Amino acid sequence: MRSLSSRLLVSVSVLLLVFFGATIAVLDTAFSEAGEQARRDILDGHLVALLAAAEPDDNGDLMLPDRLREPRFENIGSGLYAELRDTNSEVLWRSRSALGLEIPKGITPDPGNHLFARESLEDGTPLLSLSLTVQWEFADEEFRPYVFKVAESLDSFNAQVAGFRRQLFGWFAAVALTMLLAFSMLLRGLLKPLRQIETEITEIEEGKRASLSGRFPTELTGVARNMNLLIDSERARSDRYRYTLDNLAHSLKTPLAAMRALLNDGQSGGFSGRFNEQIDRMDEIVRYQLRKPAASVADKLVLKPVAVETEIARLVDGLRKVYRDKSPRFEVSIASGMQFRGDTGDFLELAGNLLDNACKWCEKRVRISIVPSVGASGVASGMVLTVSDDGPGIPKDAADALLQRGMRLDESTPGHGIGLAVVKDIARSYGGQLSINTSDLGGAEIMVSIPPIANTRTL
Amino acid sequence: MRLLVIEDDATLRESLARKLGESGFAVEQAADGKEGLYFALEYPVDLAIIDLGLPEVSGLDIIRKVREQGKAYPILILTARDRWEDKVDGLSAGADDYVVKPFHFEEVSARVNALLRRSGGWASSVLTAGPVALDTSRQELTVNETVIDLTSFEYKVIEYLMLRAGQVISKSELTDRLYDQDFERDSNVIEVFIGRLRKKMDPDNSIKPIETLRGRGYRFALERNQSG
Repeated sequence: MRSLSSRLLVSVSVLLLVFFGATIAVLDTAFSEAGEQARRDILDGHLVALLAAAEPDDNGDLMLPDRLREPRFENIGSGLYAELRDTNSEVLWRSRSALGLEIPKGITPDPGNHLFARESLEDGTPLLSLSLTVQWEFADEEFRPYVFKVAESLDSFNAQVAGFRRQLFGWFAAVALTMLLAFSMLLRGLLKPLRQIETEITEIEEGKRASLSGRFPTELTGVARNMNLLIDSERARSDRYRYTLDNLAHSLKTPLAAMRALLNDGQSGGFSGRFNEQIDRMDEIVRYQLRKPAASVADKLVLKPVAVETEIARLVDGLRKVYRDKSPRFEVSIASGMQFRGDTGDFLELAGNLLDNACKWCEKRVRISIVPSVGASGVASGMVLTVSDDGPGIPKDAADALLQRGMRLDESTPGHGIGLAVVKDIARSYGGQLSINTSDLGGAEIMVSIPPIANTRTL
Repeated sequence: MRLLVIEDDATLRESLARKLGESGFAVEQAADGKEGLYFALEYPVDLAIIDLGLPEVSGLDIIRKVREQGKAYPILILTARDRWEDKVDGLSAGADDYVVKPFHFEEVSARVNALLRRSGGWASSVLTAGPVALDTSRQELTVNETVIDLTSFEYKVIEYLMLRAGQVISKSELTDRLYDQDFERDSNVIEVFIGRLRKKMDPDNSIKPIETLRGRGYRFALERNQSG
């Protein structure tokens, strides 16, 4: 149960079940008791009527008339029965309705007492019975005890109770369902802002928006504000990081340049030659370390979409100037609307180093192609960047060494190795990889593939 | 050729200026962005070398303003920030090439020469027009494959004229571009140098490489053999 709404729905369902269960039990008991009380009153009424109808017969025994006022005593199997017994349990009279039935004797109450009892006929029909033992005073002032008993089948009563229960369950089920439905709708409404936050965060990750909108209920504004603060501070941190590196680069390299200038002012002996080598090494270290990636997939919230086409156009324009003497022919093919999710600087570093190398090594042709990676779609997709040229290419073993250690391929052409090492580092920080092949143009073909953000989701 | 160097590090700037001077360029120096911008807009400049990280006005802003004012001379950036983002920013702003610090002077010098040559419309480092060939990397002039012995100032004059072959160059422009600021200006000196060049290059007055346009200046008159 990972979603809030399913948790809430389950708890509410359990609560409803318990609450309604208790209510149903109480109502059911109350109804049954009220019903039974009513039955008892009716039985009592019949008993009184019997007492009134009873008269001594010629034999000096108590007897009831042939026909009673209550028609149910006259109809066979009507469900209402009556009998008169003496204290020896000898049946003196039995209503016509009880023809062929044996009414259980039950317990005979003490004289003058009523006794209600639940009994059953031989066929199992449940009965509610009322017995009364009376001391009948005859004309000769003699008192003799008799037992009057009326009994009613509970079949109809039970059917009534069952019907009542059915209705009860039906209504409560309907009410519970309606409540659950209403509740889940309410929940949807209540959780809408949360879902909106989720959607907006996804949009931030996809680069469609810069921060969370301010339109949240009071309870969530704090969360949204802090989230925005976090995003801002992340962005600021990444900017500050780059700014610091920039300053470091500038403040380190200008003195290096000055040192070299000073050295070369003097005579170029063995000493200044060795010193120059050290400056070269320091320069290389600084360059390599400072050109490391600014962002990575871990900073998904910081990543903004880079308009690939615009940046490549800028880059190619710049390189056309730098390589005007060679004027390489650029063949650019970029999937329309292609975006790169990441730092603009990182993207330029990837494409810049690869294109610069290609321009350096090519005879005449430089080709760059950028397509979304296979299986991905939308802005959050990955990218496959391929740069090839018609130059001499990179031998297999040299390519392997380059990929493994990021060493310089050719010490006399600064930039090739270090450029590729930087490209490899950046590609890796975005979860991607670098491969070196032979182009169908004849030279090197270097391919950088960056996977879609979604595939690198680590949270 | 008059170069402008805008660089805030004094050691670097002075060393660069001195070496460029030794290579035959007239060099102006500016130590901050404000001064640099003023020089870049107001002085006659054939090429500017601009550091991107400058106090007062940034290198990028200088480049943008120079281009906004319609100045087309080549600009070489010196940058410590060698992320491509910075290079592309510089190139898009209007610079023509970049050199990353720390650099070897030879690298700067090679790029300066290439930019100057290209800005004159020459694609190759050897400028050839008819029988005349000027190898800018070796600083050597040949006529009919014979090497002509030139003084450094004579070389500067013929290089300037040939780089702008076909264009009329006034005497004052020549003095502006070829002398350092504090040099005593005397247009007669130019006439003397032109005369000597003619004598050395064309002793029998058959090819007439340099044309005089009265009251306007000089023009290198031979057709270019190749152009960029």
